[in-house]
Amino acid sequence: MVEARGLKEPKVRIIMLRGRMEPQINYFLMEKVSKEKIEAGLEVLQALKDSKLITQLNSCVHCGLCADTCLYYLTTGDERLIPARKVDIVASIYKRYCTFTGKIAPKLVNARDLDDETIREMVDLLYGACTMCGRCVKHCSIGVDIEYVIRAGREMLARMDYVPASLQATVNSALESGNNMAISDEDFLDTIEWMEEEMQDELDDTNASIPINQPGKDVLYTLNPREPKFFPLSIAAMAKVFHAAGESWTLSTNMYDVTNYAYFSGNPDHGRVIAQRMFDEMSKMEAKKLVLAECGHGIRANRWEGPNYIGEKFPETITSVELIADYIKGGRIKTDKNKTEAIVTLHDPCNLVRSGGIVNEQRYILNHTVKNFVEMTPHGTDNFCCGGGGGQLAMSEYNERRLKIAEIKAEQIRKTGAKIVATPCHNCVDQLSQINVTYKLNVQIKTIAEIVADALVF
Amino acid sequence: MPTIEIEGRVFEVDGDGFLTQPDIWNKEVATLIGRYDGIEEMTDKHWAVVNIIRENFEEKGMAPMIRVICKKTGLKLREIYELFPLGPARGACRVAGLPKPDGCV
Repeated sequence: MVEARGLKEPKVRIIMLRGRMEPQINYFLMEKVSKEKIEAGLEVLQALKDSKLITQLNSCVHCGLCADTCLYYLTTGDERLIPARKVDIVASIYKRYCTFTGKIAPKLVNARDLDDETIREMVDLLYGACTMCGRCVKHCSIGVDIEYVIRAGREMLARMDYVPASLQATVNSALESGNNMAISDEDFLDTIEWMEEEMQDELDDTNASIPINQPGKDVLYTLNPREPKFFPLSIAAMAKVFHAAGESWTLSTNMYDVTNYAYFSGNPDHGRVIAQRMFDEMSKMEAKKLVLAECGHGIRANRWEGPNYIGEKFPETITSVELIADYIKGGRIKTDKNKTEAIVTLHDPCNLVRSGGIVNEQRYILNHTVKNFVEMTPHGTDNFCCGGGGGQLAMSEYNERRLKIAEIKAEQIRKTGAKIVATPCHNCVDQLSQINVTYKLNVQIKTIAEIVADALVF
Repeated sequence: MPTIEIEGRVFEVDGDGFLTQPDIWNKEVATLIGRYDGIEEMTDKHWAVVNIIRENFEEKGMAPMIRVICKKTGLKLREIYELFPLGPARGACRVAGLPKPDGCV
C-alpha cells in the first residue's frame, strides 16, 4: 500500500520554530495586559511577608557562574537564557514597583514596567527556558535560590493567567477529575485488576494481590497517572515488591495521583487544592504512612511543599525508593544481582536528589539488584536534568528546546556504555525514552521498582 | 502555528508534532505521520491499535487506556511498545491524529 502511493522515499522536513530558539508566539499574549492583571501579578512581589524572596531579588552579583551550570545556556550559547538573566527580569519588576529609585528613575536601576513586552519575555524565560532543576542554585557563588525566584515569577504569571495552555490543561485535568489524565474510576479499577492477574500468573500465586480502598493499612501507596493510563508494568512491579516484603498496603481509587502540576504552573491556590486532597485521603484511609511513587516533583510537592500549601504538617510521608532500600537492608526482600548482567546507569531526578535529599538509597538498591552499575558524570546532587523537568514535558510550546537541551543527558548516557538507564521518576522516564529515540541511544529505560522486581528472589 | 511537512504535504501541529486539527486525519495522514516516526510500513497490528485509539477519541474525546487497547486488539502490552517506538502516547496517539494527552507523556 505504501509503495503504491509512491511513498517509498520519504522526504521529511519539519519546520517547528522560525529561526533558532526564537520564542514562540503565545496567542493569549496578543491582548493587551489589563490593569487588574498587573495588580494581581505584583501582589506576589508586594506581599512583604516573603522576606526570602526580597533577599534573593537583591542579591545577584552577576558573577556569571550560573551560566555554565544551565542546560539551556550550555546547549544554545544564548546569553538570554543564563539563569541570572531570569532572576534579573523578576528583580527588574520588583525594583520598578517596590523601590524608591525604581519608582522615580527606573532607567537608572534597570527597572522595568510589567507590560506586554516584559510579560512575553517572562513567559518565554521562566516557563519556556527553565526546568527548575536547581543546578544553578548549587553553583551560585553567593547562594541565591534562583529556582525560588523562578517559582515566584511563575506565580506572578499564573495570577495574571499566562500559564502556557498545555501546562494549564494538565492542572485543570487534575482539578476537575481528581487525576491529571482524567482517568475514570472504572477504567482505573479495570487496569489494576488486569495488573493483579498478570502478577498472579507470573508468580503462580493467587495470594499476590493489589489491595484497593482498604483502610487501616500500614502503607497508602500512590501512582503517577501515566502508569495506569499507558505504562502499567511499573504498578505490577511495585506490587510484586510489596508482595515479597509482606507489606500491609493499599491504593485508593479516590486519590492516587502523586503529581501536583500546580507546582509547575505556579498557582498556589491550585497547588493547595491538590495537596489537600492527598492529605485528606491519608486521614480517610487511616494509613500509617504515605508512600510516594517514583515521581520527582510529586515527591517534592507532597513531602516538602505539601505542608506549605495547606499550612498543616503531613503525616509520615516517604518515597518508595527509601522503603525499598529499607526492605533490602532489613532482609524483608531478597534480591539476586546476577539476574541483570547488562550495564545499568542511574539518572538522578533533580527534585528527588538535589532538592529532595534522597541520594544514596537508589544507589544502595542498584548495588543489590544489578551486577554492573556505573555512574554518569556528573551525578548525584550535581547531576544534569533530563530536560523534561519544570513541566517541560507537558508544554508542547517548547518541545524543540526540550529536545535540544537533552543533548547533554544523551551524551552522559552514551559515555557510560549502559544498556539500561534506571531512574526513580516517571517524568524522567518519559523524557529519557524520547531522548533514546531522538539521539539513537538504544537503551532501555526502567523505574527502580522494575529493576527490583526483576531481581526478586522468593 | 508550527507546521510539519511530510511528502510535500503541510500539516498544522502543536510543538510536539500532534495535529492541531484532528478532523483532517485520515489513513493517509496516519501513514505519513507513522513514516515520520520511523514506522516504515503500517502493518495490520499498527492499524488495529490506531483504529481503536481513533474510535475512542471520536466517542469520548480522549485516548483510551492501554488496557482497552490490549483487550480489543488482543495484543500484548510489550508488543504495543515495540510497534510504536515513541510509545502509546507520543507514538500511537500521534499517528491516530489525537491532540497530545495531558500529564507526564
